[in-house]
Amino acid sequence: MAGSLGIKVARIVIVVAVFAAWELLSRTGMVNPRLLPSASDTLATLWELLQRSSVRNDLAVTASEVLIAFILAVPVGAVIGFAIAENRYFAEVAKPLLFFAFSIPKSIFLPMFILVFGVGFSQKVGFGFFSTIFIVIMSTTTAVESVKVDHLTVARSYGATPLQTAWRVYLPSMLPVLLEALRISMIFNLTGVILAEMYASRDGIGHQIATWGENFQMKQLLAGVVMIAAIAMTFNELVRSVETRCSHWRT
Amino acid sequence: MQPLANITPLKPAPRAGAIKVGNVGQVFKTSTQDVVALSDISLEVKPGRFVVLVGPSGCGKSTLLMMMAGLRQQTSGTILINDAPIPEPDPNRVGVVFQEASLFPWLTAEENVEFPLALRGVAKAERRAKAEDALKLVGLEGFGKRHPHELSGGMKQRVSIARGLVQDPPVLLMDEPFAALDEQTRMTMGDELLRIWAATGKTVVFVTHSLTEAVYLADEVIVMSARPGRIVDQLTIPLPRPRTYEMLSGDTFGTLRDRIWRHIRKSA
Ligand SMILES: Nc1ncnc2c1ncn2[C@@H]1O[C@H](COP(=O)(O)OP(=O)(O)OP(=O)(O)O)[C@@H](O)[C@H]1O
Ligand SMILES: [Mg+2]
Repeated sequence: MAGSLGIKVARIVIVVAVFAAWELLSRTGMVNPRLLPSASDTLATLWELLQRSSVRNDLAVTASEVLIAFILAVPVGAVIGFAIAENRYFAEVAKPLLFFAFSIPKSIFLPMFILVFGVGFSQKVGFGFFSTIFIVIMSTTTAVESVKVDHLTVARSYGATPLQTAWRVYLPSMLPVLLEALRISMIFNLTGVILAEMYASRDGIGHQIATWGENFQMKQLLAGVVMIAAIAMTFNELVRSVETRCSHWRT
Repeated sequence: MQPLANITPLKPAPRAGAIKVGNVGQVFKTSTQDVVALSDISLEVKPGRFVVLVGPSGCGKSTLLMMMAGLRQQTSGTILINDAPIPEPDPNRVGVVFQEASLFPWLTAEENVEFPLALRGVAKAERRAKAEDALKLVGLEGFGKRHPHELSGGMKQRVSIARGLVQDPPVLLMDEPFAALDEQTRMTMGDELLRIWAATGKTVVFVTHSLTEAVYLADEVIVMSARPGRIVDQLTIPLPRPRTYEMLSGDTFGTLRDRIWRHIRKSA
């Protein structure tokens, strides 16, 4: 990252500018402050909300749902994706179907999840899983296809067993694509969980936001948005730190 | 008397590495038609010889090499390496050097060279020592810690050759190993390969599209025709060794090159 200092400064300037504009619009009354509370008020509310144990509990609930859905969806999706990519027949049958399934907005299935799981933890995790698994499957098939035939031939010519080929050729070849996919999957996953919380739930930060919105509590609503943005960024950075560590090892 | 199973396998005889190809054919069945890639190929390579395969594109040179490596089975005929068939790859008998980009980009040069040994579970220290020897042999001492993207094209192919040699197989098969290199590097690599070959006494089968390279390197050039691939000529190169740059402009060289070229032009 050459000239990274200048770039960092520019980024900070942009963020500060956005908050300043927000503050200005609200303070000057260009936008009705009841619709758009000022940035400083929102941040104060955020601070106050974070002191409440109920809010902290909601955040913990959401984070654990996101994590569990992710931990379940990634390996299951990866195995299915791998099976599809490696099996000609399976691939021809399943691929177009998956593309169709992927193109359908997942939110329309939410009522079914509520019917099956009821309202609660498993419904939200289930829906998060459902929102994530397709992108994991599709990314894994792409990753498998990114493995170079030449490399497989080399492994074969030196007598590699299937397990050795998987571990020493497939995995390292697929890693960059997989890690990128992991980050995108996390976005889908978080979206799914928050959506499920907002739609029907008794806890979780998504549920809180929906409630604040319905009650027209704009300060709380905006503070909630900031919280979720923070959660999203935290998870994203988490995956990215794994990514940089792996790419360091890879190249 | 010891039970047979307990006898450790004999080391290959010093002059191992004979290749015998008898009436080999290869037919590819595709959904639309059967493609006869090779038809009735017979040839014999004596241990320690340097044989070059040339022929128009698509005549089946790579296919023939793949079969010698046990990577593909012939539809008919027999292939013997060290007097035994090769139903699957056997790195103890045959090392393969592929065209560019066959190195694993996520491994260092020495890890790439160690790869065949790692597959067999050779201990780390022994692996490292052997890889170092092999890298030294190809003139890459001190470059072991670099990744492929930090090496030039010629150096990458040296690593590939080191990887092919690290298990000390009597036979080395090379499919257009220098095709992606520039002319100068290619000439240098040719000399390097001849030096390595002289030092190790391997049997080499080498595929190329460059007729100059073919005559310059070979003891024997085998010329194949377009599909279905057959052997149309087999030339012994009488030029003395070591080969030198001056020979390229000599009469013998020109005559041999022309003879090969006429075959190729005819079938193309
Ligand atoms: N798996 C396959 N299925 C069908 N046809 C094949 C297959 N592999 C090779 N062929 C055909 O067999 C013929 C020989 O191919 P091969 O790659 O051995 O040629 P080559 O002499 O190495 O060509 P080049 O000089 O371009 O590398 C070609 O016509 C090719 O189209
Ligand atoms: Mg070829």
